[in-house]
Amino acid sequence: MSDARSEKKRDKLPGLNTANILLVESEEQFQKSLADALVEETAVTVYVRLAKSLPLPKENEESRPRIDLVVFIINLTSELSFQSAEASLKYLDPGYLLGKVCFMVTNARNVSVPTKRLDAVRKLAAALHCPLLFAEDQTSDGVTNATKRLLSILKVSAGLVPMATALYLSSLTSCTVPPRHRPAKLRLAPVFSGGVSLNF
Amino acid sequence: MDESKKRLVQRLIRRIPTKMLKTTLEKWGHLTGEQLRAMDSIQSKWALTESLLAICEENELAVKHLTELEMIYMIDNPDQGMWYAFQLTDPGDDAQSVDLMQFKEQFKSHLREIVRQVSVKIKKHTDEAVWIRIAWGDTYSRPDHLKPTYVVHYLQTPYVFVTRLNSKQKPILFQAMVLSTRYQYFKDANLSGRNLTAIRDLLMRKYQQVFPTKYPSPLTERKQTVTNPHVEREQAKPAANRLQMACEAFGGGTLPQLQSAVYKLETKFRDHTNTLMTEREEPFRCVVKFSSTNLLESLKNCASSGIASTPVTPLLSSIPLKGKNYFVITDNGPGPSSQRRQTQN
Repeated sequence: MSDARSEKKRDKLPGLNTANILLVESEEQFQKSLADALVEETAVTVYVRLAKSLPLPKENEESRPRIDLVVFIINLTSELSFQSAEASLKYLDPGYLLGKVCFMVTNARNVSVPTKRLDAVRKLAAALHCPLLFAEDQTSDGVTNATKRLLSILKVSAGLVPMATALYLSSLTSCTVPPRHRPAKLRLAPVFSGGVSLNF
Repeated sequence: MDESKKRLVQRLIRRIPTKMLKTTLEKWGHLTGEQLRAMDSIQSKWALTESLLAICEENELAVKHLTELEMIYMIDNPDQGMWYAFQLTDPGDDAQSVDLMQFKEQFKSHLREIVRQVSVKIKKHTDEAVWIRIAWGDTYSRPDHLKPTYVVHYLQTPYVFVTRLNSKQKPILFQAMVLSTRYQYFKDANLSGRNLTAIRDLLMRKYQQVFPTKYPSPLTERKQTVTNPHVEREQAKPAANRLQMACEAFGGGTLPQLQSAVYKLETKFRDHTNTLMTEREEPFRCVVKFSSTNLLESLKNCASSGIASTPVTPLLSSIPLKGKNYFVITDNGPGPSSQRRQTQN
């Protein structure tokens, strides 16, 4: 019995040169292409877990490794996608959020997106001090770019970058709510790449 | 030169795309090889019209030959305009034994009894379908070949598909149809769509159906593709479950293409706070219309991706189950109003 417990505990320790990422998306579309691109990474062994929403099922608990980064993917054209991410957030431990969670938004350039929704996502990310990434999910270039950005955050969160910690990174990259008077056009500029360049 | 013939030729040439004209004319078989080659070399539609008119003069082709050409084109390309499905009910004793010749004769004679000026052309297509082209005229005018009604009937089945039918001619056609097929009644099947084969498949259940089962079928096991061992789905089980339920409701393979589904709600308004509406005598009316290029496929996707709750509400699943896409929901009807609201998500 005690053996089994220690075994379980050892499972949750970080592996050598591995990183675990959890992609949460209610539509389960973009996460698949992202996952396929993420596991291509050769410098680090990346394990990807895909989920539609949180909480994660109990029965997988044994096999689930320690998660280094949780990514909430929100399709801005769908209110349901945002609501689902909001609901899932409640199942995360508050202590976990700093440096371990980021938001990825797709379809931000779509005309049918109400600006209110983007503001809501920004506010959510700012309140939780999490980075907010913008991604293009339709083109392969967009997927590659999104993967690159996620990998650079993931490497830090997994402790694979010397001299950088997740907490340190999050203080640099967390989303900020833009002041009200700025025109809507400017607000679409990616927040994440604005501040710091992330070439580790 | 007959004016009506000229206009018919003009219309035919305008409707048939240039790249399909050659095969259609070949099938028609009224042109000699030389004439076919001459037609093939012409590019502009205007010149084609002139040339076909000249050929008609030369080969002494009448309007009835031209209507045949139109039918050939229509049979090959039926997905134009809206098709409406109808169903014959209460078959007589000899309904099963009606053969094509008998049907042809009787349909024509029954139709002529009611309308004197009518031109009917019946052609049997390879897949058991009987195609009927009706050009209507009235007491004082000759049949109008520019606005024909097309009827497709499968012999020995109660299904009839109609396109471009005027409401004035509806009862006439129904009567002729009922009498010549030996059925008692003719009713609207509440199904319509742009794709004839789709609504036929839906009504005659000619699509791949999945039946409820507790055990996963070997089919789904085979479908699982080998994924990267580094990628794992946390909620694979519920997802598979949702897919199974969606397939049970909408079928497994490719689905017939439907363009819309309409739900008409006629119920009593119930709200304790709003007495004005609740006490009203007339029913509360509301119409919900779903439209898509492939409605059933999108509904199935909604259910399998979790956007619509599973098990699929009977209101949505009855589209393929009952073969209808127009529903009237009343108070005693199959679905209460609360269910309808769910489906809007």
